[in-house]
Amino acid sequence: MDISIQNDTSRFFFRIADTSLVLGQRLAELCTQGPSLEESVALSNISLDLFGRAEELYAIIARIEGGQHTPDDYVYRRDERHYYNIKLVEQPNTDFSWTVARQFFHDVYAYEVFTQLLNNSDEEVVGLAQKVTKEIAYSREHMQDWMHRLGLGTEESNKRLQRAVDHLLRYADEMFNFDALDRTHFADCDLIEKKWNSEIDEVLAAVHIECKVSPKLSMRDFRDGFHSEYLGELLSTMQYLPRTYPDAKW
Amino acid sequence: MVTQGNPSKSEFLWDVLREIPDPEMPAINLVELGVIRNAVENQYENSVEVTITPTYTGCPAKQLFRDLIVEKLEEKGYSKVMVTYQLNPAWTTDWLSEQTKQKMEDEGIAPPVIHRQQITCPHCKSTDNRLLSRYGSTPCQSLYVCNSCLETFPYFKCHR
Repeated sequence: MDISIQNDTSRFFFRIADTSLVLGQRLAELCTQGPSLEESVALSNISLDLFGRAEELYAIIARIEGGQHTPDDYVYRRDERHYYNIKLVEQPNTDFSWTVARQFFHDVYAYEVFTQLLNNSDEEVVGLAQKVTKEIAYSREHMQDWMHRLGLGTEESNKRLQRAVDHLLRYADEMFNFDALDRTHFADCDLIEKKWNSEIDEVLAAVHIECKVSPKLSMRDFRDGFHSEYLGELLSTMQYLPRTYPDAKW
Repeated sequence: MVTQGNPSKSEFLWDVLREIPDPEMPAINLVELGVIRNAVENQYENSVEVTITPTYTGCPAKQLFRDLIVEKLEEKGYSKVMVTYQLNPAWTTDWLSEQTKQKMEDEGIAPPVIHRQQITCPHCKSTDNRLLSRYGSTPCQSLYVCNSCLETFPYFKCHR
């Protein structure tokens, strides 16, 4: 199926919708795999929030695109080069500290993004942002608690969290590599970067995790559909059924 | 809430809508939950358009709300039922009346309070309780345990 995007506004919203979707999928992988029953339920709940958020955004995109495609088409019929999520959310569930750090870094970023969408010209986007900022704040609080428990827990938990942060922080740069399209829809891009950096610095210092300087990744930007190798595997699992049986219906 | 057409038929419509329960909390209907925002009927076509606002974005019952509304209205004789979503204004727990909150408590669910202050155990009514898990069995609930009677209970999260 050829999924063409006519509007720049849609391209902008795809970045946010795809980020939510891919992260939702990563958390869904942990259903029944959490470190405790309560945490397994918590991760599944956050996953639901993310899928719900993505679904609403794809519906808005479908409307902007004049109903050419459905949200299901957008989710199941695009390949990696046509997905526009940040690479941070593709990173795997190597261990629980990866799940925590990835979620925390994402939530701080997503909160700033949706806060700026509160002033969007589209009424439905504003309504969604009003709802979503509360949900993100809630999951961020939960993950911040875990950052504390892991960073200040045992030598082992701190070591594992440090290893996760070392890997994941390398994907922060591209989040703030704003382009003209971002600047059209965000009133203040620099504020997003500033707030993220200051919050992350503060929390990492408080939980005894170092912020190491690593060499830049030689990967092209997510805005152009470039991803780490993890997205391919994630999509092939998520899209297995429509890929194998293209005419399948519920 | 705006309705058109014959007023007595509209009363009928809202009474019917009030018969639709929330699938998770059957004592509470979708009108008092604030999910059903508006219903406009067209007498001549015997059709009705219902506007709903989802509660929590990730609520898996979102699809079910639509199905329940269509099913109930078709059962009551409407030949065409359309359900549209409205995200703005966003749903908030502020829309729950005191009566609705009391129904929740009677069902064993602690109703939302501002900033989670003074949450009351729906079993023994003590306010001495602690958070067990921020996330409970549904996206709208978290889990508490009462320090007085030791029962666990869900708390309907306050999103305002």
